[in-house]
Amino acid sequence: MIDDLDKEVIRLIQGDLPVEERPFAVLAKQAGISEQDFIERVRNLKKEGILRRFGATLRHQKAGYDSNAMVAWLVPDERVDEVGHALARFREVTHCYQRRPQGDWPYNLFSMVHAGSREQCRKIAQRMSDAVRVKDYILLFSEKEFKKTSMEYF
Amino acid sequence: MNETDKRILNEIQTDFPIVSRPYLELANRLGLSESEVINCVRKLKDRDVIRRIGGNFHSSKLNFASTLCAAKVPDEKIEHFVEVVNRYPGVTHNYMRSHDYNIWFTFIAEDMDTIDKVLQSISAETGVTQIRSLPATKTFKIKVDFEV
Repeated sequence: MIDDLDKEVIRLIQGDLPVEERPFAVLAKQAGISEQDFIERVRNLKKEGILRRFGATLRHQKAGYDSNAMVAWLVPDERVDEVGHALARFREVTHCYQRRPQGDWPYNLFSMVHAGSREQCRKIAQRMSDAVRVKDYILLFSEKEFKKTSMEYF
Repeated sequence: MNETDKRILNEIQTDFPIVSRPYLELANRLGLSESEVINCVRKLKDRDVIRRIGGNFHSSKLNFASTLCAAKVPDEKIEHFVEVVNRYPGVTHNYMRSHDYNIWFTFIAEDMDTIDKVLQSISAETGVTQIRSLPATKTFKIKVDFEV
């Protein structure tokens, strides 16, 4: 379990690390602990799997990934595991989840595809479809970004 | 972007060193000097290639609930709907997409009940009745680093 000091550490690293020689020393000072203790806490959060990743988050468009599509698949329940793992193996897929379909939304497997153009996204989806032998899928292209931020937990 | 920029970007997305002088360690890995790496990272942030450097957490391991919401919003209501939805700090991503379900946003909160209640009040305030919450039942992949 995490304690109040962990929450304080999370609060400080969920934002943006200052670009300085000793960035963790700056944050440690704000938390009122030593740099070494702060670093230990961060490493421990990572070891526990609470901190999934520590590093730079890019603006995809500026990194040459202009297009993204959410590819939604209609997969028979008994094939969801197999197909989910197979789609996850595609380099172009960044996220892959099973979700429970609802009402007039029948698709139960979601994969995010990032590529240089919509045409490339379509081609990648076609390759994925061929590989997993699932024909029932749709591409939802992102047309506008209204918000993109990281969660402030504490 | 030059080759040095790309090498640094590929290195600091997943493998940012959690040590006292992370840029010195990166510099050693890449055969550069510490100040070269720092200057380069500052430049990439100024140009907004790097959005932030920090932690990404497993929301469920912090006992938070998360979901993906899809809404059917008529064109004339989009602006207001987005304004209302984005007011909530737990909404971290929000996109317009090419489908009848045209607005898609992620929502993180203390528990699923809170999320459901907020969605109901968003419906009441905006008159958008078709909002679906599609929580993940299984995660096959999360890979947020991009090869550049």
